[in-house]
Amino acid sequence: MSIKTLTMALVATTALAVPALAQEKIKIGVSIPAATHGWTGGLNYHAQEAEKRLESTYSNIDIILVTADSPADQAGDIEDLVSVQQIDALVVLPFESDPLVEPVRQAKAAGAFITVVDRGLPDASIQDVYVAGNNTELGATSAEYFKTRLGEGDNIVILRGIPTVIDTERFDAFMAGIEGSGINVLDNQFANWNRDDGFEVMQDFLSRFPDIDGVWAQDDDIAMGVVEAVRQAGREGEMFIVGGAGMKDVIKGIMDGDELIPVDVLYPPAMIATAMDVTVANFLSNGPVAGSYILGAPLVTKDNAAQFYFPDSPF
Amino acid sequence: MTVSVPETAAKPQKGFKLDFKTAGPLIALILLVILGYSLNPAFLNEGNITNLLTRSAFIGIIAVGATFVITAGGIDLSVGSMAAFIAGMMIIIMNSAVSSMGASVWTVLLGVGCSLILGIGAGYINGFLTTKAKIEAFIVTLGTMGIYRSLVTYFADGGTLSLNSGAREIYRPVYYDSFLRVPYPVWVFILVAVIGWILMNRTAFGRYCMAIGSNEQVARYSAIKVDRVRTWTYILQGLCVSLATIIYVPRLGSASSATGVLWELEAIAAVIIGGTMLKGGYGRIGGTVIGALILTAIGNILNLTDIISNYLNGAVQGVIIVAAVYLQRGSFKRAVRKKAE
Amino acid sequence: MSDAVSTSVPAILSANRISKSFGDIPVLFSIDFDIRPGEVHAIIGENGAGKSTLIKILSGIEQPTSGSITYDGKTVVLPPNGQAAAMGIVVIHQELLLAEHLSVADSIFLGRELRSGPFLQLKEMREKTREILAALDVNIDPDARINTLSVADKQMVEIAKAISRDARVIIMDEPTAVLSVAETKTFFEQIRRLTAKGVAVIFISHKLDEIMELADRVTVLRDGQLIATVGTENLTPDSIAQMMVGRELSNLYPPKHEPDVDAEVLLSVRGLSAPGISDISFDLRRGEILGFAGLIGSGRTAVAEAVVGLTRKTAGTVTVRGAPADYTHVAQSLDAGLAYMTKDRKGRGLLLNAGLQPNLTLLTLKKHMKYGFLDGRSEEQALDRAVRRFDVRARDPSVAVGKLSGGNQQKLMLGKTMESDPDIVIMDEPTRGIDVGTKQQIYHIIAALAAEGKAIIVISSEMQEVIGLSHRVVVMRQGRMAGVLEGAEISEAEIMRYAAGIKQGGENDRLSA
Repeated sequence: MSIKTLTMALVATTALAVPALAQEKIKIGVSIPAATHGWTGGLNYHAQEAEKRLESTYSNIDIILVTADSPADQAGDIEDLVSVQQIDALVVLPFESDPLVEPVRQAKAAGAFITVVDRGLPDASIQDVYVAGNNTELGATSAEYFKTRLGEGDNIVILRGIPTVIDTERFDAFMAGIEGSGINVLDNQFANWNRDDGFEVMQDFLSRFPDIDGVWAQDDDIAMGVVEAVRQAGREGEMFIVGGAGMKDVIKGIMDGDELIPVDVLYPPAMIATAMDVTVANFLSNGPVAGSYILGAPLVTKDNAAQFYFPDSPF
Repeated sequence: MTVSVPETAAKPQKGFKLDFKTAGPLIALILLVILGYSLNPAFLNEGNITNLLTRSAFIGIIAVGATFVITAGGIDLSVGSMAAFIAGMMIIIMNSAVSSMGASVWTVLLGVGCSLILGIGAGYINGFLTTKAKIEAFIVTLGTMGIYRSLVTYFADGGTLSLNSGAREIYRPVYYDSFLRVPYPVWVFILVAVIGWILMNRTAFGRYCMAIGSNEQVARYSAIKVDRVRTWTYILQGLCVSLATIIYVPRLGSASSATGVLWELEAIAAVIIGGTMLKGGYGRIGGTVIGALILTAIGNILNLTDIISNYLNGAVQGVIIVAAVYLQRGSFKRAVRKKAE
Repeated sequence: MSDAVSTSVPAILSANRISKSFGDIPVLFSIDFDIRPGEVHAIIGENGAGKSTLIKILSGIEQPTSGSITYDGKTVVLPPNGQAAAMGIVVIHQELLLAEHLSVADSIFLGRELRSGPFLQLKEMREKTREILAALDVNIDPDARINTLSVADKQMVEIAKAISRDARVIIMDEPTAVLSVAETKTFFEQIRRLTAKGVAVIFISHKLDEIMELADRVTVLRDGQLIATVGTENLTPDSIAQMMVGRELSNLYPPKHEPDVDAEVLLSVRGLSAPGISDISFDLRRGEILGFAGLIGSGRTAVAEAVVGLTRKTAGTVTVRGAPADYTHVAQSLDAGLAYMTKDRKGRGLLLNAGLQPNLTLLTLKKHMKYGFLDGRSEEQALDRAVRRFDVRARDPSVAVGKLSGGNQQKLMLGKTMESDPDIVIMDEPTRGIDVGTKQQIYHIIAALAAEGKAIIVISSEMQEVIGLSHRVVVMRQGRMAGVLEGAEISEAEIMRYAAGIKQGGENDRLSA
């Protein structure tokens, strides 16, 4: 263990030391949350892949990737990127929007090009580019699918994430989407985007409700836990589950024709790579880049699953 | 004030007093069960009871170990991360075993063996650093907590480590199957609790833990090998974490950096709700078991009802935990007052 | 004695027909007690006689079940929780209640700090402290931390604290129990200084000679009853003792049985050095009681701790029955039949929250194992035996040991030590802070153990005790042996000469008399 840790430390130092040699390079700072659950794990993977790809393609691009454990931590990271690294551009996926307004504003004031990912800042004038998944569409797409499978008098349960804006947007859009369809939501509970919580909450739903036709788990980690609970109760034939995000295990299942999780709604952590591409393009293409890039939340089915499958990603 | 009454009398009183002390957490649990049943009769279904007991096994087993650590005046914050780390290592080891020799019962046994070794080793490291390096337990285990958590994240590349499906199918019954209609995890829990109770109340080791937690100097002057006993409490804690992990892995067949988050606090809460003193010197395994059941039951009841806003779940948990401890301390005080009158 | 106090002066504090019971158990029966300004009034009685309860009532910590308190001419109900201190009634407890990590000045002003606005007036407090300490004529640095002070100095800080509160009545619970002879002398001077200023001092002690020296009047309690309040001039130590125990105390110390001249040497120490001591050499034979005398801090306890392996020795040899004894842990010395009974029964000897049984058997749990498990019955039998042998009195064996009287705690600790059935026993202050009746019991137990063939070391700051018990006496001074006395040489004056450094040497030729 200790050797591996040491290697990690060495790699980290080398990574930081090398860029200092080449001065005329374009420096792009990328600040994202640390890999604390599946989706952020995928985010980190795609950020690292994009870093490797962009740096090998363009010799004058230098990407500095930093991960943070909390909003305060991230604010510090951004200050360091600006003052120590003197970055030319900042790609940031904020932990929370509000606390990061000021640090990002200061980066902007120092002359950096700002790309904000996923969670938009309340003051849109700070960001040059906004790249985001679409939480509202994720809810709506899911609702559409439920309406195709279920109708009047069918019962579903909902497992939500952590009480945040992201969760609320998804939930509200879903509820709006199924309105008038006659689908009956038995209950919703928070499962914290966590497998264990998904498992336990679903166990309790199963003992509480004898008739469940569908489960909207809203996230693939939760969905994995739900699957186990349903299998334990032996009620696989009775219901289907829809998660969200595009975890490779789920996508693989859909490709293989899994009945329990027949579809997924994409909310790809790969959006960080898109944001980095867009930022690089701002420096290397002829015209400046600006505006919002809202990624879709398409429905992944057996037919199109293969194009969303990244077997090497941890997520 | 010692009005000299000779050594006769008073033996029956001992049993009575012990009963009274246990009653606090038990009353809280019974009230909680009544509450659960009145909110939703499904609470007492066999299926739900089975779920509840199985679920409480993880925290319960870890909390039995924590009872020893806390009784001896220590604390272990690393258990949640340790569980995640051991789970991750088990999966890595079993997966590589499957790829070299195929999936069999031996794969699972190999994983279980490694889990035990890792648990004992991790416990020993915590014990060694607190007793020999003389660093406060809080700091040592806060440190190892961070180390284990980031090691899992590192090994999983920030994602999820999943057990090979072949090994999974062989291992799965350990969590999901039952003996005499009682799931295996519950049997493990019962076994750990019984052994823990005997160790605490019927062996010199338990007595030494209480003595050390109560006053380390007295223990030292009473020829107790304080460092050795302390280290053993951490090893025992590591062993309990390892056992909990062994029954946890087959549940979802995966481990990630989100595994076991806050288990340390739940385990400590279970211990304290059960009547063990946080400052050490007095430990109750039976109370710890009830504490673990109370904690699990709260979550279960909240999921079985929708009269409380989801957003307030944490508040409800907090109120019940504080109330349970109050009940336990309050009844204890009342017993003393009754005696004085 | 300050004869100045005449009976015509009205009492400042008095208790009138005070009774107190805890639950069904009466502890005090209709006690009358009063104290006048400038007087020293001693309360004396055996353990459990009700002394502590009486002073708790006099200081408001407990309320009487019946009867009244008069303070300064008015009938009052004293406020609980030590708030009586604000009215001028201050208690100095036996275990000095000082926060170990505060400075002297901080301690004296604790709870009523001088402030300007929200800020502490550190300089003023330090100055005030210096003045008070100077008035007491003691040399303590106001900035010193409490944990660096000697016990005697800590006591002075408590007294300074009381004075700084303009105390009119100071109640002291066994203030001299932890003081050496010299320290006691200074302490008495301080008390006289206080009484000269009109402060009334209530004083609990087990030391009859001190009471004779200091007190103007003595109140004797026995089993919660008031036996008598008598002017000291009409008393002798003997008559006080008789009133206390209600029986003749003819022989406090048992007769000495000289050990055989050819008795086996069980413990032999040569040139022992360890933290706090250097070059200690002595022999201890079967059936012998060897006294260790000296001032507090002279290294007596350090010798014991180095011998049993609680601290590491830096030089010298220790042999037990001829075998080298390089113990690194108490368990090893215990296995070799060598037991040490600490002087700090509350901090090191007993688990105050636990009952009698776990305390008794903690040292020797291995004896009570059956197939690896504890045998509760065997432990109970051990407790029954010890309770009978050492006369430990408790209302209920499950009661927390911390609630027992000092004497019963001490006897329980003696029982705990003897459970290991040692051949050699080192007893550190075996009768500290306990009443004369219990002391007598313990002296007889010690003599009986020696007669059985145990070898015993008694470390004591009470010179009478060392003289009354020991066959030989080692006098320690500043971490070294100042001298070894035996037979007729053992006298208070001779011990004092060595302890104070007036006389020296001659130890090496009489290691083993």
